[in-house]
Formats: sequence, C-alpha cells, structure tokens
Amino acid sequence: MEDPNSTSQLPLPSPFSGKAEVVKLPLRDRPSLALKNKVGKAQSKKPTSLWYAVYFPQLAELSESQQDEQLNVLAALLENISATVSFHPQALICEIRSSLKYFGGIEAIHNKLKGPLAEQLKQLALPEYFLYAACPTVTGSLLLARSGHNGLIYQQDNLRSALGQLSTNVLHLNKEQNRRLYNMGIRHLRDIWRLPTNDLYKRFGSDFINLLNRALNLAPEPTRNYVPPPAFSTTYDLPYEIDNLDRLLPVAGEMLEQLSEFLQRRDLCTSHLLFSLKHEKRSSTVINMSLRQPSRSSEHLLMLLGTHFSNLIIPAPVIAAKIKVKKFDAFMTHSESLLSEDKSATKQYSDSNLNQFMEQLKAKLGGHFVNSIKTIAEHCPEYATQQMTYEKMEKIEKPYKVGQELKKNPISPRPLFLLEKPEQLVLRNGKLYHRKSIEIISGPERIETYWWSGTDVRRDYYVAVEQNGSRLWIYRERSGEKNWYLHGYFA
Amino acid sequence: MKPYSESSAKAPEPLFNRAYSHADAGNQDNIADSPSIEELLNHNTNLWRGCNMAGQGIHGRSTGYPQLDSILPGRGWPQKGLIEIISPQWGMGELQLLIPLMRSVIEQGHWILWISPPHLLYAPALVQAGISTDQVLVVNLETSCKDALWSMEKALQTNNCGLVLAWQTWLPGKVLRRLQLAAETGRTLGVLFKHRDSKYSQSKMRLQIKSFSPQAGSFNKAEVTIIKARGNFQPLTTQLELYRHHSQHTA
Repeated sequence: MEDPNSTSQLPLPSPFSGKAEVVKLPLRDRPSLALKNKVGKAQSKKPTSLWYAVYFPQLAELSESQQDEQLNVLAALLENISATVSFHPQALICEIRSSLKYFGGIEAIHNKLKGPLAEQLKQLALPEYFLYAACPTVTGSLLLARSGHNGLIYQQDNLRSALGQLSTNVLHLNKEQNRRLYNMGIRHLRDIWRLPTNDLYKRFGSDFINLLNRALNLAPEPTRNYVPPPAFSTTYDLPYEIDNLDRLLPVAGEMLEQLSEFLQRRDLCTSHLLFSLKHEKRSSTVINMSLRQPSRSSEHLLMLLGTHFSNLIIPAPVIAAKIKVKKFDAFMTHSESLLSEDKSATKQYSDSNLNQFMEQLKAKLGGHFVNSIKTIAEHCPEYATQQMTYEKMEKIEKPYKVGQELKKNPISPRPLFLLEKPEQLVLRNGKLYHRKSIEIISGPERIETYWWSGTDVRRDYYVAVEQNGSRLWIYRERSGEKNWYLHGYFA
Repeated sequence: MKPYSESSAKAPEPLFNRAYSHADAGNQDNIADSPSIEELLNHNTNLWRGCNMAGQGIHGRSTGYPQLDSILPGRGWPQKGLIEIISPQWGMGELQLLIPLMRSVIEQGHWILWISPPHLLYAPALVQAGISTDQVLVVNLETSCKDALWSMEKALQTNNCGLVLAWQTWLPGKVLRRLQLAAETGRTLGVLFKHRDSKYSQSKMRLQIKSFSPQAGSFNKAEVTIIKARGNFQPLTTQLELYRHHSQHTA
C-alpha cells in the first residue's frame, strides 16, 4: 500500500491523516520576489534630501499662539525656494536638494532668503537675526542650526561626526535630563553615541532615543508641513467694452461658478469678496460684497451681485472684471432632520433662506436702512426702545431678555407708534387740540426720571382719543410751562 | 342609474341640493362624493358657493376676532396675497387688527418686516402685545419709495418671511398689481396701510377701519368694513372690540 503523504500529486490534506497539513508555497519563488524588491529599491533610490533649517531663537519669548502666527508668516517666504516647508519649535525647515541646481548652490539660496527674512522680522518687530544650517536629516539640521555654527553637511556619512561635536544643549532637554547627562559626564552628542542604546532607553525614555535616531536618519521623520492659505482671484478680460451692466451678468455668473467650484473642492465658503470692474484710463469700480452668512452658492452670489449692479452707476465702460476673495470660512451645513416635522431643523432651513433675502435687502438698501428693534429697561419712554442695524443685533445675545421681564410686570399700555419728537398740543378754551379736539380716556401715569442728569423728565401720561378717531398717547409736563404734548399713536 | 345624470338635466341649483340630500340619507352611491365637495369648499380658495360666501371654508388664518372671522371668506386672513387696510389717519387701531396674526407668525418662527412705518416702532408696545422683537425687522422711513416697494416685492416673493407690513399712502394700480402678483408667487402675506381707498385695486382684500364716535365712550370699539374680498359679493361690516389688553388694564 502506498503512503498518502509521499505523493506529490495530492497536495490536499488527506482525509486519512490525523492532522491538517500545512501547504507551503514552492520555495524557489521566494528568493526571486526578494530579489525583485531589492532591485526595485536600488533603482528607486533617490539622492538623499538636503534640509535647510532656519532657527529663530528670539521667538522663544513669545506665547505659543504668537509663535505659530509668526512662523506662518515666515513660512510663506520659504515657499519661494521649496515646496516642502515644515514647522518645528521656533524653526522652519525646508527641503532644498531638489532646487539646489535651479538656484545655483546653497549660497545662492541662502542669499535669496536672507533679505526677505530680515525684512519680515523687522515688520514683525523682532530682532533681525536667525541661525541656519543644512544637512541630510530634518532633525539633524535643526540641531545644527541650534548650535549656531551655521553648518553645512552634504553627505550623510559625515552626519554622525558633525553632529557628534555639538553640545548636548542643542537637544533642548528638560532640567532633570540635562542634570543626569551632566552627571554621567556627557558633554557632547558623540559621548551619547558611545553608550549602549538599551540603557539610554531605560534612563531617558523613547523620545530621547527617537530624537537621536531621527537626527542620524535611523528613524522616520514625521513633519507638520506648511499649507499655504487658500487664495482665489480671477480676472476676465472682456472682448469688447460693456456699458450695460446687465450684459456683464453672464460673465460674472461664469466667474462665480469658478469660485463656487474652487470653494467646493476645498470645502470652504466665503463671506467677503471684492468684485471689481476695470475701466480704461480710470480707477476701477469695486463692489464690496460682504455676506452675513458664508456662502458658496454661485446663484446666490450672482443674485446679490445683480442687486449691487442695479444700484451702481459706472463712470466708464467696463473692459475687464475681477473677483477676489477676501475672507474664507469653513463650510458649515445645517443638518437635515430625520423626522420631517422636526421644528428646529425646518426653522434653520427657513432661516438660511431668509438670510439670503436679508442679504439682498441689505445690498439694495444699504446696511443702515434695515434695522432691528429691542427693548431696554428704562423708565423714560423715548429711551425704552432702540433701533440698531441688523448685524449689530446678531452679536448681542438674547436681546429680548429685558422685554421678557417687562411682560411679567404689566405696565400701563404703550402705543405701537412713538413720535420721534413729541408734538406740542394746543390748549384752547380748556380743550386740547391736535388736528381735532382731544378727549382724555384714562390716566394719568406719572413718569419721573433723569432727575440726576439735569434734564428732568417729569410727565403725566394720558390715553386720549381725537375727534376723528385716532387714539393718542399724550402727556403734560409737570414742570416749567406745563405744556401738553402728543407722544404716540395707539395704531 | 346614476343620480347625477338624472339631475343634471335640470337646473344647476338643485344639483347641490340633491347631492346633499343623498349624503344625509346615507346613499351608498354618493357617500364618497358629497364629503369631498364639502372638503373642497373648505380648503380651496378658488371654490365657493354662489349665494353666501362670507364665513365659508376654513382655509384662512384666524384673525383672532370672531366677528371679523365670520365675515371673511375662509374665516380668516388669506394665507398669502395682498391686503389693503384703509384708515383715514394713523392710530385708528389698524395694527390692532393684526396683532393676533403677528403673534402666530412669530410663534411659527417667521419674521415680520415693517417697511417704512410712519413713526418709530415702539418695542415695549410690541412686547406688551406678546410679540418678541427679535424676529422683527424695520426698514427705515427714509428709504426711498422705490426701494421700499422693491423690498416689499422681494419679501412677498419669499416663502418664509411671514408677514410684510408697508405704509404707502398712494400707489398707482400698476404697482399694486405687481405687488399682488409677487404675493401670489411667494407664501407671504402682505399688508398695505393706506389713507384712501382706490376702487380698482388688484388686492385680494380691502378693509376699511372706522372708529365709533368717541363721545360715546367707546374707546375700544371699531367698525370694520370689508370693501372687497375675493369670495365676497358685497361689502360687509362688523363691529369689533380692540385693545383687549388695554381694556383689561383700565378696568
């Protein structure tokens, strides 16, 4: 009888054998795979990158948020020489190997950067100096820059010896670790390299080892890269001059469509943009479109622009149009409600619709014509109401709180219409006249306030009816000439 | 045999009577038809009975004044469209007519837009009437007439503005027609306050408010005439008691 295990034709586990057999891949395939990988690696091996570090020790005195801000500004300058700019504590590091040939050597790059950086530092009111260094690793270049020697190391082989000369201060360790290193008799980085890694790991933790490994290109270096802020500006040169702004709308529509696409790709919205119309031999007309709520809908923006156009008188024919976005905002959408009858969600939706209308209103009439009103806890009637522009209103939280209190303690009736300036009434034969004779219905309600300010308010208010049917709110001064005034209408 | 074909040979008037009598009798053939007529009359603004139309249907928004509801088609203000309220001078209680409506508009989360009111809108009075001021917007009196009309038209075209109140003493018929058309496209009710009636106005409804002679001591009483309302044949008049919160206070 044949042994089932010996047959090469039956790789499947035999039902007769007691345990399942592990099927192995044929061995000869494996080395070839490994070989391929090796070849691939060798072929794709790039020249080692070169990192140029710029270190600003003066930033250390600022708060962290300020540091971030300043580094962002400075990073924009480094963008000129490299596509990869990363942030580090008080330092910026960029890759320059790829642009070395283009600029003609590291000296040229440094000279190109020196001027603008100094100028920018001056603008930021900081001391105009910085330290720099370049080497094949990010952390290495940072350490070199911190040492202040402005070193330059092209080859990775030289990295170890060059870094070894640096004092341990460049590692920016905490006090305790510094003390420990000092007690161990370590003054320079090369002293550390003589020590066994395992023991160092035990004494100083993984961060310390990681830092050194990254400096020597033994560990990967994750970096936080600079992302330039979004910017959008587009110009359209018209093939012929346009006098009628309505004919510009299709062009504007197309430009806004572009803007909308740009915003959608970046998940952004805009709340402030400039639309400028260029004229020949004249300064261009600029339409300042600020939105109450960030938007990226081209239809909405076009509608607003159309409203602006309807108010605009252009001094000369338009030869080109330009859109520039001044402010970007994160895109926020309202969440749809799961249940159709959910009230808050529908309210939000209607609010957003209404906001579009309000914006249009504001664009057409001008912001100061559209007002909100609110009540103020105040005894003197003319100061108890306040009109304010709609934007201001938005900023005040719970503006009607005072009103709620008023509702709780009923005061005598107030008229819906108040005269901005009280009108004096005529008293003839013991009867009051406005247009027709007036008859008092109820009152008086005495209001005495502002005695502390010198402009005393001492009045007796009455509700009255005029002969022709108007309901009036009138008062009589309690001091001075005791004149009668009309102050409001119960409309 | 269908009862409809039989009755259609006769005059159209008994057709309805017949249909109703069948419904009352619970006739199996017609039981599905007759309630639908009732329903249509109640909810369709374009359908009404030829004889007595006031107080028919329930498609309106209640005015808050039962006497006024009873003489309005649909038993209340229309859902959308343009209403003209004529008062010989301001302060006749013309806004009081709308206070309950305003309250419901605010409660629904909509807005009230006041376009160029003749005087300062007094916030404490609104709060007293139970209208929260944070959903109230005022377009200044200084706005040009053209801009004011533009904003009224735009507001009427929106679906969710709620209520638009405007004060214009005289408007040509063409403008009124345009406003009326705008109001038909949107879902917002517009109210125009005027001093004088214009006979050929296109508005859906024209009301006139008059007060009783003040000598009678009837401060709260007002007389409202519906000069025209889509669905009413002749002017109807009723007497209302306004300023309810006010009378409570003085009592």
